[in-house]
Amino acid sequence: MTSDVQIPDPLDLERDEEARLRAAAGLAPAPRPAGEYAGFESVGLPDRPPETEREEELYTLAEGEMLVNMGPQHPSTHGVMRLVVKVRGEVVIDIDPVLGYLHRGIEKLCEEATYTTVLTYVDPMDYLASMHNEHAPAIAFEKLFGVRAPRRAEYIRALVVELNRVFSHGLMMGFLALDMGGLTPILYSFINRDEIVDMLSAISGQRMLFNFFRVGGVNFDANDEFFSRLGKWRAGVLKLVEMNERVITDNEVFRARTIAMGVLSGQEAISLGVSGPNLRASGVPFDVRKAHPYSIYPELEFEVITQQAGDSNARYLQRIAEIKQSIHLIDQIVDKMPHGPVQAQVPGIIRPKPGRAYGAVESPRGLYSVYAISDGGPNPYRFRMRDPSFISLQAIPKLMPGHLIADTMAVMASFDPVMGGVDK
Amino acid sequence: MRLLLDRFPDLARSLWTDEDSVEVQIDGAAAPDLLQRLRDDPELTFWYLADAAAVDYGVDQHFEVVYHLYSDKHPAWLRIRARVDRGDPHIPTITHLWEGAMFHEREMYDMMGIIFDGNRDLRRIYMSPDYRSFPQRKDFLLPDDAADSPAAGVNPLERPETWDLTRLTDELAPGVIGHVKSET
Repeated sequence: MTSDVQIPDPLDLERDEEARLRAAAGLAPAPRPAGEYAGFESVGLPDRPPETEREEELYTLAEGEMLVNMGPQHPSTHGVMRLVVKVRGEVVIDIDPVLGYLHRGIEKLCEEATYTTVLTYVDPMDYLASMHNEHAPAIAFEKLFGVRAPRRAEYIRALVVELNRVFSHGLMMGFLALDMGGLTPILYSFINRDEIVDMLSAISGQRMLFNFFRVGGVNFDANDEFFSRLGKWRAGVLKLVEMNERVITDNEVFRARTIAMGVLSGQEAISLGVSGPNLRASGVPFDVRKAHPYSIYPELEFEVITQQAGDSNARYLQRIAEIKQSIHLIDQIVDKMPHGPVQAQVPGIIRPKPGRAYGAVESPRGLYSVYAISDGGPNPYRFRMRDPSFISLQAIPKLMPGHLIADTMAVMASFDPVMGGVDK
Repeated sequence: MRLLLDRFPDLARSLWTDEDSVEVQIDGAAAPDLLQRLRDDPELTFWYLADAAAVDYGVDQHFEVVYHLYSDKHPAWLRIRARVDRGDPHIPTITHLWEGAMFHEREMYDMMGIIFDGNRDLRRIYMSPDYRSFPQRKDFLLPDDAADSPAAGVNPLERPETWDLTRLTDELAPGVIGHVKSET
């Protein structure tokens, strides 16, 4: 029972009629009454007293202001998140992110799981960077257990992690353009992403939730299919990225909506705990791979790339530079990869000595760290994950006041948050 | 590390190191002061708050708020373990030092029930505002089918026995309090 007939809103008809009469009589258009916008209703205030000062400030409406819900199922929130946006007309006054729609209690679940199975639980957290999710706990557990992965395993780890970074940054380019109405780049991004995902599925056996890392190594050695796919992908990837760049970077609409939008200074970014490409786009050279080297990164040649502008465009250019840097790293890793075993001797049920360990990696979204406490049993006593997009999300309410509501999503997409990681 | 000892001789007893981190144990009330000195000292400059997390050491033990700091002048992570009393879980906020500590503190409040004095937005962040338990405390058991498990047959959502009644008395309806007392 669908009908093509559009039923007009009577309020609109009334307004149109009024406007027609006024125009005929040579009068100016009628002023819009404050606080009233046809087709939108304010979300209403919560039916309980405010708990905190900030909440009271947010939910107190001045004349002409109203609250609009963006989400939880907004197509460009990159997951399930709600933003309560306080607007005056189309200008954002304040934003309150409401999280938890995807909360699965992974930290608590991991405290009930053995050290080996924890690595399977963390995969779906930041689902665009599953390899990084597994890398941080693997590092922390290896410190706890006092075991080191063989050199070939470390090289394979670095290889898959950098491949994961390339497709995650590539998708960010596509999603950013998609949030501004450009459909083509996301298709190019997905070509690139599918090639990498097929490659990673050849080495790990899984397409998305790889479950590839083990305490003391990796699950499988790199096989012929993986290397042949890698060679084929490497031959075409720069061309693919450049093709994507050509569509996006100089596009007039894209430039108008990213340059000088959401400018985050380095000082603010540090204070807000923003990390990764978003921090480096504000001019702060903080990269965990250099700052606190792990795995084989001390043996590779690369520089920390930074941008100075700190706006959405800088964050986008930073991603492109990092894709090229990662491809450069992949070349080095493949050149230097040694032979040997890929898994250290580790018992089936790992029982580390009581102690604490902190493992941090540079994920595509920033500093991804694990703090694990062992009490001598087969499960971690406490398993804490610091997700970079969760912390970086705090920048959105700081940056948006004064901008148009339509730019909220564009600026948010430039931070590239993944709700699976935000909500844990 | 030697520099740290020079600056803060009173920390010597609680200092501990492993391959890539230096660890300090302090009392919760002293945390913001120490963190500020570590951040602003020109030779230490721990400018980046890498992580802030809470740990529950068990029902008759204590909480710990664990801060991880990074400085580009030192090769190790600095871990500060601030002790918080479990019966009266208050600790001063550090949101005036790093604004980004806000979500960390809201998460700790939501999951562990630690109250950060001076934080102006201490609301629940993952759970809904009317939720009352603190899910990451150790006495919040997960549902389990095993007959010998302490969690056999528990209600998976709320854990009234973990509610801190002294704080919540005025919020709860009388009937709820009666229900809680009959259970514990």
